[in-house]
Amino acid sequence: MDEMQAFKVYGKRELQDSSLIVGWGEDVANLGTRVIDYLNKKLGTEEFGEIEPMDFFPLGGVPVENDIAQFPESKFYSSHEKNLVIFKSNAPRAEWYKFLNSVLDVAEHYCHVKELYAIGGMVSLSAHTAPRELLPVSNLPTMKKTLGKYDLGGDMDYETPPGQRPTLSSFLLWVARNRGIPAVSLWLPMPFYLVATEDAAACRKVVDFFDKRLSLGIDLKDLDDAVARQNEKLAEIRFSFPDVDGRIKNLESNIGLSQEDSEKLASEIEEYLKRID
Amino acid sequence: MGVIIYKEPKLENPIMVASWPGIGNIGIIAVDTLRNMLEAEELGEVEPWDFFYPKKVLIRNGELKDLEFPSSKFYFKRTGEKDLLFFIGEEQPADGGRTYAEGKKAYQMANLVLDVALKFGCRRVYTSGAAVAPIHHTARPKVWAVPNTKGLISEVKTYENTILMSEIEGRGGQGNITGLNGLLLGVARKRGIEAICVMGEIPVYLQGFPFPYPRASKSVLEVLTTALGIEIDMERIASFIERSDKDIEQLYEKFAPEIKEQLDKLKYVSYAKPTEPAPITEEDKKRILEDIDKFFKKEPKED
Repeated sequence: MDEMQAFKVYGKRELQDSSLIVGWGEDVANLGTRVIDYLNKKLGTEEFGEIEPMDFFPLGGVPVENDIAQFPESKFYSSHEKNLVIFKSNAPRAEWYKFLNSVLDVAEHYCHVKELYAIGGMVSLSAHTAPRELLPVSNLPTMKKTLGKYDLGGDMDYETPPGQRPTLSSFLLWVARNRGIPAVSLWLPMPFYLVATEDAAACRKVVDFFDKRLSLGIDLKDLDDAVARQNEKLAEIRFSFPDVDGRIKNLESNIGLSQEDSEKLASEIEEYLKRID
Repeated sequence: MGVIIYKEPKLENPIMVASWPGIGNIGIIAVDTLRNMLEAEELGEVEPWDFFYPKKVLIRNGELKDLEFPSSKFYFKRTGEKDLLFFIGEEQPADGGRTYAEGKKAYQMANLVLDVALKFGCRRVYTSGAAVAPIHHTARPKVWAVPNTKGLISEVKTYENTILMSEIEGRGGQGNITGLNGLLLGVARKRGIEAICVMGEIPVYLQGFPFPYPRASKSVLEVLTTALGIEIDMERIASFIERSDKDIEQLYEKFAPEIKEQLDKLKYVSYAKPTEPAPITEEDKKRILEDIDKFFKKEPKED
């Protein structure tokens, strides 16, 4: 493989001024991959390229999850009709700068991408009954201005705390800025007790934004149904388990939970949701 | 992948002193103290993005303002005779959460550092690190020195409080210097540059704790200043040692009495080849070292 080219592109793309959506496999509640899997299915996208794993992942064996051997994937999909490029990948474990530049090489040179969206989940201490909010972080003032007309959360201030590291999406935004590509990471806080399973409302919120922003014409009824089902299940567990209901009520009243109570709430809900699914 | 040089000072026979973090941050504290005390000026830096994952993001009003990477900086100081070049790496370019660099990235970093050394006419490099040893924390740490050519051995032998690998019992002159503080010696040898690594001793029972060990840094600093023919005020590092000693004593007090009893015997043990009669028998010494080794033996690490 060429030292500078770590990717393979299978066919010619005829996209101009397209948009790129990026989601990472290790996201909170798998939000990024859930949204991307949904968009790929709904839009009937076509896989057209990938980043080869050898420079970026250890490859000293394979992890096994739920009885199945896993392997890192970094794939590009596109919808010609919607002028959209999607990149779904596990987070690389090495050579991050080279990896992110490879993503943008494909996006720029093969798809003439004009803007980039990275999806990211966050853990929130709010209850699931609170409305989901999408918090944007832009890499250029122009992008921030463009997104001003959408129903997005307030301007975020953040600095990496000691002992932690920035997210891969922040790194991607920085690399994109250096190449003059407007980009935004879309952060969606999700109730901590839904992180181990999934949060249909979070998924819906992100898809709804993309539908409006990129004029995708998606019928969101299936997502509305999924949100309704999630709410029903959570209502059922509240009704059946007064302790759970009490803890969620506290969260709804902005009363913080002890660590023990938080852990109990998360494990009880996870157990219940997995049992009835 | 490259180096940014801010200035082009003319330096006289410069010597480079380089360090990356390691156990107890012994080497990097010594080198950074020396750089600070001499008020060395910034000279340049290695471009970080090919080597490191960022360490900090700054977001203001919903806009990404800055992404900060671990620094790898060069400094210089004119002394009148042998000028000095410093290199201080905030992190080793290691993948997958490791502390020490290895492989391609480590080799590239070592070569970039030596490119700068050669650009300014440097023919001698010192690196610095830690040597885990069966010593007590109240003892004055020795400095283990490893040169990269045979011709440097006689010079190393003149350094005070310093020993060669061959002077350590049971080692037969063998050993290993992990990470870039060691690799730089090898790459320097390949490129025909003299180099010496000076490693301050840290007690075996403190190696796993995430705090610095300035007592060993001072020993390293003493060797470096002598080797470089410069004098600095040791007051700053002495007060650092005072604070660190208090923390270590507090930790030591928490050890179980039977462990403390074993460790206290280290006050009377010398693992270097004896030059005078020891206060305990050879048999006692062997048993103490075996017991302590057993106690602190680590499980093999998984990669």
